Amino acid sequence: MDWQGWLVGIVGRALAFGTPLLWATLGEVYAERSGVVNLGVEGMMILGAFSAFAVAQTAGHPGVGVLVGAVVGGAAALLHAVMTVTLRANQYVSGLALTLFGLGLAGLVGRGWEGTPLRQALPPVTIPGLSEIPLLGPMLFQGQTVLTYVGLFLAVVLWLLLWKTRWGVVVRSVGESPATADALGINVFRVRYLAVVFGGTLAGIAGAYLSVAYRPAWTEGMTAGMGWIVIALAIFAGWDPLRTVGGALFFGALYHLSFRLQGLVAPELLKLMPYASAILVLALVGLRSVRRRGAPSALGLPYTRGER
Amino acid sequence: MASGEEVIVRETRGGAGRQCGGQGVARKGGLDMKLLKLMAVVVAALAVVGTVGLAQTKIRAAFIYVGPIGDYGWSHAHNEGRLIVEKTLGIETTYVEFVPEGEVETYIDRLVAQGYNAIFTTSFGFMDGTLAAAKRYPNVIFAHCSGFKRAPNMITYMADFYQLYYLNGLMAGALTKTGKIGYVGAFPIPEVKRHISAFTIGVREVNPTAEVHVRWIYEWFNPAAAKEATEALIKDGCDVFAFTEDSPTVVQVAAEHKLPSFGHYSPMHAFSPDYCVSGQLVHWDKIYVDFLAKIQDGVYTAKNLAHVDYWWLISQAAAELGGESGLPINPKFVAALKDKIVDTKVFGKISVYDLVFARLQQMGDPGVSFDPFQGPIVDRKGVLRVPEGLWMSYDALGGQGRRRSVAGRAVEFNTGWAAASPQAAASSRSRCPGEDRCMR
Repeated sequence: MDWQGWLVGIVGRALAFGTPLLWATLGEVYAERSGVVNLGVEGMMILGAFSAFAVAQTAGHPGVGVLVGAVVGGAAALLHAVMTVTLRANQYVSGLALTLFGLGLAGLVGRGWEGTPLRQALPPVTIPGLSEIPLLGPMLFQGQTVLTYVGLFLAVVLWLLLWKTRWGVVVRSVGESPATADALGINVFRVRYLAVVFGGTLAGIAGAYLSVAYRPAWTEGMTAGMGWIVIALAIFAGWDPLRTVGGALFFGALYHLSFRLQGLVAPELLKLMPYASAILVLALVGLRSVRRRGAPSALGLPYTRGER
Repeated sequence: MASGEEVIVRETRGGAGRQCGGQGVARKGGLDMKLLKLMAVVVAALAVVGTVGLAQTKIRAAFIYVGPIGDYGWSHAHNEGRLIVEKTLGIETTYVEFVPEGEVETYIDRLVAQGYNAIFTTSFGFMDGTLAAAKRYPNVIFAHCSGFKRAPNMITYMADFYQLYYLNGLMAGALTKTGKIGYVGAFPIPEVKRHISAFTIGVREVNPTAEVHVRWIYEWFNPAAAKEATEALIKDGCDVFAFTEDSPTVVQVAAEHKLPSFGHYSPMHAFSPDYCVSGQLVHWDKIYVDFLAKIQDGVYTAKNLAHVDYWWLISQAAAELGGESGLPINPKFVAALKDKIVDTKVFGKISVYDLVFARLQQMGDPGVSFDPFQGPIVDRKGVLRVPEGLWMSYDALGGQGRRRSVAGRAVEFNTGWAAASPQAAASSRSRCPGEDRCMR
């Protein structure tokens, strides 16, 4: 087969599979930049997936479903924010609880919704003009749903916001040293609440993408562990929105290739590939000095006023 | 009610105690004596009632699933069977879902303590745990799906699809334009390989040069993996799809590309009304109702199950051809299948459409006059595995195969291809037509 066809095929599938990873990881990056680890991504995604499906099926419009998925994801994250920011619970335990809660609740209320496909799925869109560019056009601007394009655009916006604006400095400083930020008059609690809920909103949209666009149907447990990949990707991307795009595409491409290359390479090895490469990159990242790794210094630590 | 009868049994024992005490009292006077005699009669009557009641203990059935009943696949299908049992036999049932394979014994302990006396475990990986529990609770009846270990109070059972996959293969071979057919497989284990082999035998019968391309996902349930595997097959030129995975993903993805596919396990026609050609449907209720009714009638007890194995196929109606019940072939594909004419030894020139129904009838017939795995069968490397005139035996087919788990020592499917004579195979498979098979 011609190499162009291969490349277009691989990038196209990498984008399709990478889209939910991109959305959810962007959210997790912001939450963690503010100093809050949220291991509840899987739970927020599945709640977003179910609510988006149920609403889109009832309303007959996929867009409404995505909006509701976003709200539900944000609401789930609010639980985590209350637990970890206000009540200062252990962030890891609270996040795990959120995942278990989300999977259980979505499974329970989802009874009876499986077995029928979504009436109206989110349609693929071809961007006029941009899709005419040779090679790049068919690779990037064809056959994806609007959520993919918006996700890529959002990554750029969030990158600018995080690194080039005062808003970004505020979020980062809260994640680096909440006490200092507090002393400077920044409301640490509010910033963390907003970052966590924003993260949940994006995770909800990621889940909605799965049930409304990627595979327009509801099945219990349909996120199948994607939320955990997201948490690894946030580290993999060094808590940076633009590198998140690279990470999501890289993982998406490997995932696709693990099926594409089965005729040539042993499937057991291919199955291992995305995960092995994730470990490899994490190990390489780990070799660098702590500061250059880019982890927010106060990540995972609850903040109490007046304590150092 | 079982609990009611237990009360009666206890009362009998309590009565006997009182009878003894009563003899002490009886020395005092005649009136008491009479009363006591009356009491003794009552007690004896109660004892008789109690024993009779014990012999016909009411069945309370419990089902243990490995996945969620909402998977719209394996566990969903078992649960549909359970609901039909409740409706037709009026038996009280319950279920536990999402049970990790290593923890099945704990769940069995709890269910036995709650008074359940017929326990179905529906995953291959539950096998050893179920056997251990069967030894611990000799009066409870156990049924393990897809395994091969039995006990006096434990049967094995399976509704297998290989005949259906063969029929699907006939249709797939007729419908492919590129000559490449895609198959998304869960795990490379005997059961799945048996199904792919049967499917390929069907494909090659009508289209000798067609290829079946397989992509493994190494999971029973993973919609994203099934989707990417299907997309990869499409990119490699496949244009008809069959699969083993517990969600309708492959059918949906094929439909997005306007390509035909075959449903698996549950009715998936609705997910692709224009492109779902046919598929495989399971009716676990046929096995469940038959087995539980035989327990009710006293045919099966906790003493005589060591050689009972249900291996039910098309002829027992445990496996049905179609994308949804009652629709063996999607009307949209009837014309294409009628147009494709093949030359067969038995039927002469025949359309694939008619061939499918002719084979279906041969396999559905209690005598079973055809099997996909009848010789000559040549493997991928060109080695003759089953000579002309012979059928593969039940054991060679991996009848004691595995489902739901890849742990442990897998009996490799094609190493055990010992062929039996057609008569022996036919008789061993249809020894008691419509009945469960008695092994060894």
